[in-house]
Amino acid sequence: MSLFNLTYTKTILENGLEVILHRDDSLPLVAVNIWYKVGSANERKGKTGLAHLFEHMMFQGSENVPKEMHFKYIQEAGGILNGSTSFDRTNYYEKLPSNAIEIPLWLESDRMGFLLNALDEEKLENQKSVVINERLERYDNQPYGLAWEIIVKNLFPENHPYSWPTIGFKEDIESFTLEDVRSFFKSFYSPSNATLVVAGDIDQSETLALVRKYFNEIPSYETPAPPASVDFQLSENIFIEHRDNVQLPRLYLAFPTVKSYQPKDAEFEILSDILSGSKNSRLNKRLVFDEQIAQDVSAFQFSGKYGGMFMIVSTAKPGIKISELKEKIFEELSSVSSNGITETELTKTRNGIKSNFIASMQNLDNIADHLNHYNFYLNEPNSFEWDINRYMSVQTENVKDVCYELLNKKYLELNITPKEN
Amino acid sequence: MNSLRTKPEIRNELKFQLGNIFVKEFPNGLKILYLQKDKLPLVRLNFFIESGSKFDSLSFPGLARLTAAMIDEGAGGLTSLELSDGFDLLGTDFKISTDNDFIVFSLQSLAENIGRSLELLSLVILKPDFPLAEFEREKKKLLVNILQLKDDPERIADQIFDKIIYQNHYYSLPVSGYSDSVEKITLQDIKNFYTNSFKADRSFLAAAGNITPEEFYQLIEKYFQNFVPSASKVILPDKLNPSDKKVFVYNKPESVQTEIRAGYVSGKRNMKDFFAKHLLNTIFGGQFNSRLNSNLRERNGYTYGVSSQFAYLKDSGYFLISTSVNTENTFPAIKEILNELYKLNDGVTTDELTFAKTSLTRKFPLNFETYRQLTSNLSALAIQNLPVDYFNSYLKNLNAVSIDEVNSEAERLSQADIKIILVGNKDLFADEFLKNGYELVEVDEKGNEK
Repeated sequence: MSLFNLTYTKTILENGLEVILHRDDSLPLVAVNIWYKVGSANERKGKTGLAHLFEHMMFQGSENVPKEMHFKYIQEAGGILNGSTSFDRTNYYEKLPSNAIEIPLWLESDRMGFLLNALDEEKLENQKSVVINERLERYDNQPYGLAWEIIVKNLFPENHPYSWPTIGFKEDIESFTLEDVRSFFKSFYSPSNATLVVAGDIDQSETLALVRKYFNEIPSYETPAPPASVDFQLSENIFIEHRDNVQLPRLYLAFPTVKSYQPKDAEFEILSDILSGSKNSRLNKRLVFDEQIAQDVSAFQFSGKYGGMFMIVSTAKPGIKISELKEKIFEELSSVSSNGITETELTKTRNGIKSNFIASMQNLDNIADHLNHYNFYLNEPNSFEWDINRYMSVQTENVKDVCYELLNKKYLELNITPKEN
Repeated sequence: MNSLRTKPEIRNELKFQLGNIFVKEFPNGLKILYLQKDKLPLVRLNFFIESGSKFDSLSFPGLARLTAAMIDEGAGGLTSLELSDGFDLLGTDFKISTDNDFIVFSLQSLAENIGRSLELLSLVILKPDFPLAEFEREKKKLLVNILQLKDDPERIADQIFDKIIYQNHYYSLPVSGYSDSVEKITLQDIKNFYTNSFKADRSFLAAAGNITPEEFYQLIEKYFQNFVPSASKVILPDKLNPSDKKVFVYNKPESVQTEIRAGYVSGKRNMKDFFAKHLLNTIFGGQFNSRLNSNLRERNGYTYGVSSQFAYLKDSGYFLISTSVNTENTFPAIKEILNELYKLNDGVTTDELTFAKTSLTRKFPLNFETYRQLTSNLSALAIQNLPVDYFNSYLKNLNAVSIDEVNSEAERLSQADIKIILVGNKDLFADEFLKNGYELVEVDEKGNEK
C-alpha cells in the first residue's frame, strides 16, 4: 500500500546532526521533531530523573530566548509544542503553520547550542519543585500510582538501565545541582547525538538550507557509550505486596521478554490483544464478562532498546481474592499455550492493527515522531510498511508458541491491596 | 549578538478556509452535518442522542449511563459478544459515552467497511435487546466504578464542584449516579428510559470521511429511516439557588496533594460574549503562558500545571480553574488564584490581547487536521446550534473583539461569586485558612455538607 510508503531525505551535517525531511502538502503545516538519544536509561543510580528534569530545563530559555519565551514564541506563531522523556530517548516537537518554519528551527538550535549560560539556580529550583509536583500528581497521589516503579525496580536486575522510573525518585530529584544539569547537557546534548525531522508543507532544499543556517555553527562533542544491558530471565518468582489507599486489590504479573523489534516482540503484542484487546478477548471474556470476578483486565508487551516485559493487570471485584484472578489467568494462558488461537481471533487483531496504522497517519506531528522513532530503533525512517508486515506475518502457531514460552518463565507478581483501617 | 540568533520574522499570513459543511435533515428529524475529507480511507462519526444524565439526574441518577452500558449488550438478535466481534472484525473503532446532555456513539471505520459498520450501529441504536443476564453484570460494573471514585481525588473534586455550583439543578449530579440510586435501577427502568428518549428528532450525526455526502446520506437513510421521532417535547425545570458559602473541603487524609477546583456558573454559550470570554480565558488560564500558569507553576513551583476554561454544556456553562498542588502550598496557591482573579479588575493589557488574538488566529488551521477534530468541531455546531458558516467567520469575529469588551468580561469574572473546592489532607492546611479569615465547609463526596 502506497499510503505507508513515505519518501524522505536524510542528510548528516558536519557536526553530526542527522536531518530527515519529509514533504506532505495536504495542509499548510510543518512539524519539527527532535530526538536526543538520551533517556532515563542513560542515568545512574542516585541521579534518577535527571533526563526528565533536563527536558524541563530545555523550556526555561536559552542565551537568546528569555524564560517563558520559548512557549510564547511558538504560540504566537500559531503553533503547539511539547517534549517528553522515556527510558530510551527525549523528544521535543512543534507543529505550526508552514510559513512559521524558521521559528522552531531557531528555537531548537538556540537551546541545542546556547543553553548553558542561561541556566541558573532560580530556574533549577523552580523546575525541581514543578517536577516534584508532577511526580506527586501522576504517581504518588494516584490510586495504584506506584505500581510501575515497584515493578521496574524489582523485575529488572540491579543496575539494569530500566530498573528505575523515568520520573526519578523524589530524593534524587531534590538533590540535583546546577552542576548535574550542566554536565548532563555536556554529555548528551551534542548535535551528533540528535536527529531532527522536519515534515509537512516544505520545500526540501530551502528547508535544508534553513537547517544548515541555524544548526551548522553548533559544535559537537563526544558522548558516552550507551548503557550495557544483557537479556535476562528470573531465576525464581518474585512476590511483592504493597498496601495502598485503594478500595480494591489489583494483581500485576510481569514476565521478562524481548527488546523492541526483536524476534517475538510483535508476537507478544498480538498475544496481548488476543488476551485483553476486546470484549470477547480471552481474559476479558472469562474474568470480566462470564465470571464477573474482575472489574478490568489488560495485558501488554512493553519493549524498549534495552529490555522488555509482558504484563497482565487485573482489578478484583469486591470480595474476590487476587489468588482467584491469578488462577483463572493462568488457566487461560494454558489454554492458549496448548490449544492455540483461532484464525478469526487473529483476523480481528490484524484488522485492528491495520486500522490503527491508517488512523495514525492523520497527524503530521505523529508522522514526524514516527519517522524519528523508526530511525532510532531501525535506522530506517520509512519503516511503516515493514512494521505492519511484521504484525501481518505472525501466524496462529507463533502466538501459541510465545504463550507457551510465557507460561514457562519465572515472573514477578505484585499485589496492591487496600490498607486496613 | 550573532545576527542568526535573533528571532526570525513571520511573513505572509496564511489564509484558511474550511471545506463545505453539508447539512441535511431527514423527515424523521434526524440531522446530519458532514464534511468530505479525502486524505485517508476513513470515515469517522459521532451519533448524538439527547438522552444524557440531565433527564435522569433528579429522579434516578445513573440511569442514562447504565442505559448506555446496556445498549450494545445484545441487539437485533446478535449477542453482546457477537456485536463486539462484528465491529472488531471490520477493524472499526466503536465507543459509547454518556455526558450530562447526550449519549454519544463514536465510530471510526475504514471507508470500505462503513456500510457494514453503520448496519451494526443501527442495530445497537434501534433494536437493543436489553437481556437480563447482561444487566446484572453491567449494573455491578457501574456500582464498582462508583466505589472506585473514593480512590480518585480528581473525580471526587469534579463531582463536588458540579454539586456546589449547580446545587439542585439537573446539571448538579454525576453522570455515573450514586451507589444508592444505581442499586435501585431495574431493567424495566432502562427499557422505559430508552423508549422515551431514543428519538430521531433528539439525535444528530457529525461526520467526516472520504466518501461523498450523497453516499453518506444514502447509508444513513438506509439504516436509520425507521428511527421514530418523539410524540412530545420534554421540558426540564431550570432553576439555580447558589450556596452562600465559599470554600468547601473534602478531607482525604492520605493525600500528598490537594486537588483544587474553583469556579461558578457563567452562563450558556452565545455569540455575543463567546469570543470576548475566549480571549479573556486565553490570557488568564487557557494556555501555558497564561497569568495563572506563569504565577503558580513558572514563578512559584506550586504545581505541575494550572488551567482555566469557560466550559459549555448544552443548556448552561461554567467557568472553572483546575489544578493540584503539594499539600503545604494549598493556601498559598488559593491566595495566588484569588489574587489573579482580583487583578482582573484592572483589565488586560493591549500586548496580552494582541498575543491572544495572534496566537488563536494563526493556530486556527491546526484545529481541522484529523478526522476526530473535524467531527468534534461539527458536533459543537450542532450541540450549540451555531450557524453553518461559523468556522469561516470565526477569525473575523475573534479579531473584531475590542479590549473594552474583554475588560468588561474580566471585571465580571473578577467580581463573580467563585466557589472553591479542596480535596486533600485537611488537617495540614485548615489552620492557615482559618487564620486568614476563611470558613471551611466540610462536605462528603456527593458535595453535601457534613
